[in-house]
Amino acid sequence: MKTFSLIVYQLVCIAALAIAAADQPAAIAPKLAGLLAAQGKEGKPVISPEQRDYFEGLNDHIKGLLNNAAETEIITRPDHLSSILALGLRPQKMEVFLQDNCVLCHTDPEVQKPETLFSITAVSNTSPAHLNLHDLVDDVHFRRGLSCAGCHGGDPASDKLEHSFVKEWPGTGRDKNRGWVLSFCARCHSDSTLMNQFNPALPTDQLAKYKNSPHGKLLLETKDPRAPDCVSCHGVHGIRGAKNPLSKIYPKRVHETCGACHANPATMAGLTLPDGSLIPTNQLAEYRASVHGRALLERGDLGAPTCNNCHGNHAAMPVGLSSVSQSCGLCHAGNASLFDGSKHKQAFEAHKWPQCGQCHGHHGIAKTRDSMLAAGPEALCTKCHQQYAKDHPECNASAAYFHTSITQMDQAWNGFGVTAEQLAMKGLDVDAIQDKLNELADSLKQSRSHIHSFSKNGFERVALPGEKAVQSISSLIQEAKAEYRLRQLGLVASIALIGLVMLSLYLKLRRLEG
Amino acid sequence: MSDPGGGRSLRGWLDSRYQITPLIEFLRHKEVPKGQHSMVWYYLGGTTMFFFMVQVVTGVLLLMCYQPGEATAYESIRYLTTKVPFGWLMRSIHCWSAHLMIISLVAHMFSTMMLKAYRPPRELTWVTGYILFALTLGFGFSGYLLPWNKLAFFATSVGTDLVKSVPVVGNWLLQVLRGGPDVTANTLYRFFALHVVILPLAFMALIGIHLLFVQRQGMAPPLGAKTAPRGMKFFPSFALRDVLLWLFCFMVLLVLAVFLPYGPGIPGMDWELGQKADALAPAFPGIKPEWYFLWEYQLLKEFPPHLFGLEGPQLCLLVVTLLLAIWAVIPWLDRQAQRDEPSPGFSDFGWGAILFLTFLTLKAWDIGATENVASAASIKIISRTCAWWTLGAGAAIIGVRVLIHGHRWFFLTGAALLHVALHGLFGLSYLAAGAIAAILAGACVTANLLRNDGIKANAGGAR
Repeated sequence: MKTFSLIVYQLVCIAALAIAAADQPAAIAPKLAGLLAAQGKEGKPVISPEQRDYFEGLNDHIKGLLNNAAETEIITRPDHLSSILALGLRPQKMEVFLQDNCVLCHTDPEVQKPETLFSITAVSNTSPAHLNLHDLVDDVHFRRGLSCAGCHGGDPASDKLEHSFVKEWPGTGRDKNRGWVLSFCARCHSDSTLMNQFNPALPTDQLAKYKNSPHGKLLLETKDPRAPDCVSCHGVHGIRGAKNPLSKIYPKRVHETCGACHANPATMAGLTLPDGSLIPTNQLAEYRASVHGRALLERGDLGAPTCNNCHGNHAAMPVGLSSVSQSCGLCHAGNASLFDGSKHKQAFEAHKWPQCGQCHGHHGIAKTRDSMLAAGPEALCTKCHQQYAKDHPECNASAAYFHTSITQMDQAWNGFGVTAEQLAMKGLDVDAIQDKLNELADSLKQSRSHIHSFSKNGFERVALPGEKAVQSISSLIQEAKAEYRLRQLGLVASIALIGLVMLSLYLKLRRLEG
Repeated sequence: MSDPGGGRSLRGWLDSRYQITPLIEFLRHKEVPKGQHSMVWYYLGGTTMFFFMVQVVTGVLLLMCYQPGEATAYESIRYLTTKVPFGWLMRSIHCWSAHLMIISLVAHMFSTMMLKAYRPPRELTWVTGYILFALTLGFGFSGYLLPWNKLAFFATSVGTDLVKSVPVVGNWLLQVLRGGPDVTANTLYRFFALHVVILPLAFMALIGIHLLFVQRQGMAPPLGAKTAPRGMKFFPSFALRDVLLWLFCFMVLLVLAVFLPYGPGIPGMDWELGQKADALAPAFPGIKPEWYFLWEYQLLKEFPPHLFGLEGPQLCLLVVTLLLAIWAVIPWLDRQAQRDEPSPGFSDFGWGAILFLTFLTLKAWDIGATENVASAASIKIISRTCAWWTLGAGAAIIGVRVLIHGHRWFFLTGAALLHVALHGLFGLSYLAAGAIAAILAGACVTANLLRNDGIKANAGGAR
């Protein structure tokens, strides 16, 4: 025992010492090592443990570039190194970063003044926006090697600054007449041959579309300084692709980008729609509360429409009366088709009502409820018919029928769904119930959709399978409950039988042991 | 047909041919040690065997419907549980019985350990029991894949992947186990063969040997019993009690199978069929194995990717193999028990092992997790909560041992608790905390041994 314990103890000690020895850092060049080990005024390391971990995880090539930057004294201060490591860039971006002298120099707090220093703490929405380092390295152009020099000119590998491209910019009044921005971006973005090298799927017709849009006309013809140009929606530095959640044109942020002007009464003052009426500024608030806005912003459903899905992107314009239903029909194709075949289509056209928008609204589209069919405060059908179709009383009866049928199916689907789940957890076969529940759900969905046909016969045809499914589910649930009762009964009988055998065995044992 | 000899009764007929009288006489005179000690522990081997018999019977019934194959395995189990009369009951009993068998087996093993029943001349009974335990875990692992559902598929992929870490032959072993580089229908066929043919044959052979040893040598008497304790007749007294307990176990099985047909809902103890396996579907986040493998799963997570030039899983496997090897040869290590003397160090080793397994299992269950389980803050809270639970259990164990059994030897239990406290409460890494606890425990054990040697030497000198 003693010998064994001594051997185990020695082994454990060796293992513990080896753990400590295994935690040694890899060798790095002296200057970089000095920067990594530097301590601040309070004696704490300037390079945080997270930054240190990031550094340790870098590949040898990137570590070599950092070593090089330290040896050539481009990086001379630990806080400069800290701001670079804090970015946590992937190797490809870090490689671009470390080979660009513009960025390296502008991130050195010793060389730069506060107004020219790129840092991770700079506020990105203040001018100049490129001071924010995250914006700079996240820019879609940066990743493809188009860094500062791509627009500002000069050679990023040299320490001399040449602003050859800046000469193409207007010498004065750059902020007042911003038409030049379009042609500056279009130098590349309208060149299909050039763009093909970087993103073949990206269209190159943005400028042509923009010129024909109300925005373009306002900027280029009226020369209104309020008109947006490329950078108004895409940003200047920190331009990100539409799939990047931080992009100003990411689906979940488009409403904010458009709303920056359209929800601001001061900006929109005096601007009118084609019919001469003033452009309202409540669309953003309405959209946020709408079913589309909530689907996109609260549920994160990127398939839900935002401003550009109905109004367009570079060719953004108001949706015309006749094109409202076309826009809606892009997603709600079934309902649009049913409406087009209904008697309401002619009636709406006669009144010059926008088709979908008349009942559902425009920017503030609310979630439809079955109560919209019934008489009451939310009633749609009866309210309109009382005013415009008093000579068709049978329509109210149809609406009441629609409402009753749908409500019954909905209640059945909810109630039976819960019961089916409970039965499944008890180990009962609910496959047949689930099949019928799916039939009911299909029928319910189709019934709700077929209201847009405003035809009782059409509605009945799709609601009938649902009503039959309700009856089938009800009897299947009764059968399943009876089966469960039988199982419980069988269990009680089995336990009683086993208990009886146990009792007789016990009595036998007592008798034997006397 | 003439009677070649013997009486007219059936017994006489059999005795004349097979000489069963000595066997009956053996059973009639066989006794189970009885005395002040608790006899409860003597029944655990029997309950384990009962659950195994249930497994065999329900397994054969399941086999009548089960069709191994990529296109049929899941479908046949689904058909069995939904359409075949009492099919749901067979599967439910089979699953419940599997888990209860492992619980019973673990309790049997630890009770044998604590009572030092492994001491001579019963060393090989311990070893056969140890192999039976390994085979039972093999049953659990191979049976898990057979329904061919999504969870089983991915859990088996992760579980078998560990085999890669075996030095030199790891990749070859993985290919053999899976029947290819990935989990496919080939793996299903192999696991099926393992589960219904290879393992049962091996298990029955070993259980025969294990029982033969027990019958030849009898149950181990309490440690230090100078005189042979009063015995209880094996037949009928002990055997009837065994049967009574088995019937009770069967009643419990039935109640559980009817009221909780898919298990109690504890992670690692849940057998709802769910969706069919799909190799192309994304893997489940945070797949976990059955509850009895959770400690090893968690231990793997505690190891860094690389350490001492080895891969983390390799080193973990090495540690686990070392611990299991020590566990297997305990009868030869425990010199005090060999002399029929109390061996508090090994009792404490058993309790320490229980606490070690408890902490890892609780941690794998994410006890105390916040909403974002994988976040660093949540992992910290999990470690802390599990540490408190384990420390509570440890305090209770020590309390009972001191107050009821009068134990005074707690170096290894203390080390296990220190390990848990350093890791869970003071934020040290699991391995660093373990190294510190092991060094301290080793120092205390050595000091204690040297002190005892000194006392003995002095006593010898005084004599």
